Formats: sequence, C-alpha cells, structure tokens
Amino acid sequence: MSDDGTGRDEADDPERADADRGDDIGDSSGVDRSGDHADDGGSLLAGIDTAMRGQFGWYSVAKKEFRDTVRSKLLWLLSAVFVGVFALPVLLGLVVGFGPNVSRITTDQFFQQRSTIVSGLVPIVAIAVGYAAVGGERESGSLKVLLSLPYDRRDVVTGKVVGRSAVVAVPILVGYVLSAAVLATVGAQLSVLGFVVGSLLTALLGVVFTGLAVGASAATSTTRRAMVWAVGVYVYLVLFWGSFASSAGGLLREYAGAAVDTSLQVSLFLQLLDPTRGYGTLVDSALGQSTIAARAGMVQGPQRVAAYCQQALGGDLSMGGAGGFTCQPGAGGVPIYFSDAAVLLYMLLWLAVPLLIGYRLFGTADL
Amino acid sequence: MPAIELDGVTKRFGDVTALRGVDMTVEEGEIFGFLGPNGAGKTTTIDVLLDFVRPTSGSAEVLGYDAHADSQRIRERTGVLPEGYDIYERLTGRQHLNFVRESKGADDDVDALLARVGLDLEDADRKAGGYSKGMKQRLVLAMALVGEPDLLILDEPSTGLDPNGARRMREIVREERDRGATVFFSSHILGQVESVCDRVAILQDGEVVAVDSVEGLREAADAETVLTVRLAAPVDGAAEAAAGVDGVTEATADGATLTVRCASDAKMDVLSAIEDAGAEVEDFDTEEASLDELFAAYTEGER
Repeated sequence: MSDDGTGRDEADDPERADADRGDDIGDSSGVDRSGDHADDGGSLLAGIDTAMRGQFGWYSVAKKEFRDTVRSKLLWLLSAVFVGVFALPVLLGLVVGFGPNVSRITTDQFFQQRSTIVSGLVPIVAIAVGYAAVGGERESGSLKVLLSLPYDRRDVVTGKVVGRSAVVAVPILVGYVLSAAVLATVGAQLSVLGFVVGSLLTALLGVVFTGLAVGASAATSTTRRAMVWAVGVYVYLVLFWGSFASSAGGLLREYAGAAVDTSLQVSLFLQLLDPTRGYGTLVDSALGQSTIAARAGMVQGPQRVAAYCQQALGGDLSMGGAGGFTCQPGAGGVPIYFSDAAVLLYMLLWLAVPLLIGYRLFGTADL
Repeated sequence: MPAIELDGVTKRFGDVTALRGVDMTVEEGEIFGFLGPNGAGKTTTIDVLLDFVRPTSGSAEVLGYDAHADSQRIRERTGVLPEGYDIYERLTGRQHLNFVRESKGADDDVDALLARVGLDLEDADRKAGGYSKGMKQRLVLAMALVGEPDLLILDEPSTGLDPNGARRMREIVREERDRGATVFFSSHILGQVESVCDRVAILQDGEVVAVDSVEGLREAADAETVLTVRLAAPVDGAAEAAAGVDGVTEATADGATLTVRCASDAKMDVLSAIEDAGAEVEDFDTEEASLDELFAAYTEGER
C-alpha cells in the first residue's frame, strides 16, 4: 500500500531479527536482569505481553500510550464522567420513577433513556482524547525520540489508535458494568445479551471517533488543525447530515426523475452513513427490535416511519405497537445494504478511512 | 562497508534549500564529528539519515541500508540522541528505558545504564517531566545506548550538560567507539569535536566545505591563531619585524598594539622578533580561531 511497508517484514521474519540480535549476545556482559519486569504482572500476562510484542510492531507503542494517558488522570476523570454524568442520573431517574415497580425496568428503557446523551457526548470525549495523539508529539519533539526507535510510522499511528481507544472504551465499559450491577441489585429484568451488545456498540462509537481524531492528528502537522478537522466533521454530521440526507433524496426525485422508493432508499442510506445514527439504530436492533423496525425508526413521525417502512425497506405495516402500527419485513426481506452487518460496516469505515488518509499523509510527511 | 554514505543529498523545503549536494562517507568504527554553525543543515542531514525527512535528490545509506526504504532496519541497530526532542513527561526515567528495551528487543541492565550516564536511581523513578535539561539529556543518551547499537547518532549531545556531564559524555563516546560502534556526533562548538573525534566534516550553508582528520583541523585552527601584543610605546618597524617571521600570515600595528595572525607554534618567535626590533613587550594575548574563522580558512584554502 505504501513504500514504507518494507519495514514490516521484520516482524514476520523472526529468524532475521534473531540473527541481527545474535552479534550482540557475545559481548553483552550477562548482568543480572531480574526485577526489571516487576510490573508485568502474572506469568500468563507476561507470556501474552511477550507474544504481542513479537507479533505486532504497534503493541509497545499502544501500551506506552495507554500507560502515559492513564497517568494523566484523564482515564479516571472519564470514568467519573461516564459513571457520574451518564449512568447515575439515568439509574436514579429510573429507580425513583418506577418506585415499588422497580423490577419492571428493562434494558431497553435504560438504553433509551441515555441514547441521545451518549451518542452526543461519546464522540466529543473521543475527539478530546484523540486529536493531539500524533500532532502533540510532533509539536513537543517526543516524536523524534519515538521514531528513532525501530517503529515505522504506521506502527505509531496504529499504536496511538489502539492505546487511546482503550482510554475511551474502558471508562465506557466501566460505566455500563456498574450500571448493570446497580440494576441487577434492585431486581430489574436485564437482557444480558442486549446489555452486552449495547455496551460494546457504545464502546465502538467511542473507538470510531477516536480513530477519526487520531487520523486527523496524523494527517495534519499541528494539534490545532487536527482539532478543527475532527470537530468540523462531527459538527457537520450532527447539524447538517440529516437534512443533507433527506434533501439528497428529494433532489434525486425532483431533477433526476428517480422513483419515490429509490429516493427514500438514498436518504435512508445516507442517514446510515452517519456513525452516530448508525449507532442508534444498531442499539435498537440489539435491544430486540427487528432490523426493519430499527431502520424505519430512524426517522421522526409515524407517517415518515410508515413511508420508509413500505417504500424504502419493502416492509408491511401491521396494526398495534407503540405508534399504532408495527413495521414488519416484506416478502423480499430487508435489502442487504440496510442490514445490521452493513450498518456496522459503515461505522467501521469511519474508523478506517480517516486512519488511512492520516497514515498516508503522515507516512510521506517531513517531520 | 561505510557506516554512513551520503551521495549528492539535496533537500529543499519550499523555497529554502537546506542541503546542497552533500557527499560524505563515515567509516565503520570511527568517531565522526559533524561541525557547523547553527542553521548550517546539520539536523536536516541527521533527519535524512533517520528518514524523518526525505531528500529532494541524492541518496543516503546507513549501515548498508537505504535510509528511506530500510529505515526501520537501520533504527534497530542505531542509537539516537536527537536535537529538539522531548521526553514523555508522565513516564519515569526507568519506564523510558524499559520502553526502549522493549522496542529494540534488548535486555540491557537499566541500573547499569543509569550509572553510566550519571543519572541517580532516585531520579530514575521520578516522572521525567520534572527533569532538568541536563537530566533529560542524560536520560536520552542512556536510551540511545540501549541494545549496544552499531551506530550512535548524537545531535549536539553536550546541550544542557554541565562540564562534568560533557566529560562523561565524551568518555562514553570513546567507550562506544572502542566497543566497535561508529559514532556520528554533531556540534557547533569546535572544542567538543576536536577533543573526541577521529575525523571531522564541516558543513556551512548546506554544503560540506571540508572533511579532514582532527590533526588537519587542528593545524588549520592553529594557522589562524591571533596574537595581540601591547608594547610599552609605539615602535616603528615592529610590525614589519613580526611579519618577517616564518608562519606569520599578517601583522598590523595600531599605535602601541600589534595584531599578528600566525601559526600557534610561531608565537614565541614573533615575540622575540618584536623585542629584537627594539620594542618592549608589556603584555600579550592569544586567541584561538573561532569556528567562523576556521570555516574561512577552509573555504579560502579550497577555492
């Protein structure tokens, strides 16, 4: 993919690496090295650690990154935010609101209560964690120390993404685990699978925006520019993407003579490209809605839901349910590009594309 | 196989030309000084060796590998003390060294490395954000030594070091050379390069103006010693007498003060010639050539 790729064969070629180290063994002094790995934990962990080091060039960078960031107390602050701001008020509201009927609280209600604030705030937190990842080191000069070690630039970007993603994902998961523990204690009926998948999707949302921010920080030479790009993309998605998606469909119908169902499909498809909307509809699927209901539910208002259900998704309406009707799959099923797997893929593209652009530009830049 | 081979390396940043066709060969096992004023292009040259920047034209090989295509392989066997670096403020000195060991697959004794560069064990367990410039410099030097590299690239290594630290650093440079490593050492201070290097290249305005042994450099420096002599009273013919001595390039009189440019071993002959001319020497002062004058000596000599 890039002419920088040559360095990578070293990791795939252990014999070669051993041979290189071989000359050093003869004249090394053989001093006692016990105690230097005291912080590596148990022997199983130490074994995994060694294996990862041998296998992946980025692993040590990611570990250093995580360790460095943990020390900044950012991780603890974020954990406090995710538990204190995201989880506790929702839990309190639910528990107080249900009073004696607390056992009727469902996983669905817990996620619904917090979905807006989560899809709004998780990206912001992730951008804050990631935007200075590469540019910050470039500005301070520590990148010179890092790149004087045998890492290629892709290792640095990958290590940054993995390390900082962990910094975002761990507090999110901690928040969910604590919430689950509280809900289980008060006797709520939890769907374990729904809770687990919902938590993982939220962590993925954080990872996607961390990737976007790290990609921006690799692509630009200053942290300021990286922040402008990452925040700009996010603000555009939140404020303008929805209306862009619906008007794009309308324009197709107006000027290209597209059929109504085609134009609705285009609108829905564009909506799904927004990772925060993709996250929302995937959580709905995870919590037990049918795929078609989750997709149709992305639009506001019963009439539009009905239109999307029938015309974009080829579904049928049946009476009953929260909005007076339920959207059910038609004979042809849901088109593959609206399936859960496709939506997950669109989210992952948001992780991959900015990183590829970032790596490309960083890989060829003069530092 | 040379440790470093630069062939016509040119680097332009926009309109600015940082390097103009640099040719240079550093042999294996030598301490090679890279001398030049600030802004001459020393750091850009080192950046090319480490693939931090890519040359506009020309080729660079390090340890037999292409500096760009095989950079990672080069850096496995190279220890670097870069210029304008920073450390990770929240990690301790020891964690820095462990990270380098892990990155290079080396198993050096961290305590021994710390002792070698003169960093206290107590300081090593503190966060490096609180280190002084000299301590940071010692830490990064220790990091460069991890894994017994075949090549050490040290960019202005004495920056921030006290005289003791600078002496320690020079000892380490010699020890590393004696172990078999090649040391590439940049500086803008003549004295540092002179006291430790086997050979020297002089870079000015992005061009290598001279490559010489340290003896040759010393001779060139000596040729440019400036002797200032104050006489008790002005004496006609004193300057002419000084100018007649072997090894004197120029002698001028300004009242009772004579300024004589000469080789340093001609100093005593000059003084006695002045006294023979009937002048009474009240005081004299010698000044070694500055780097700029040295460059002038080389550039004038070559062209």
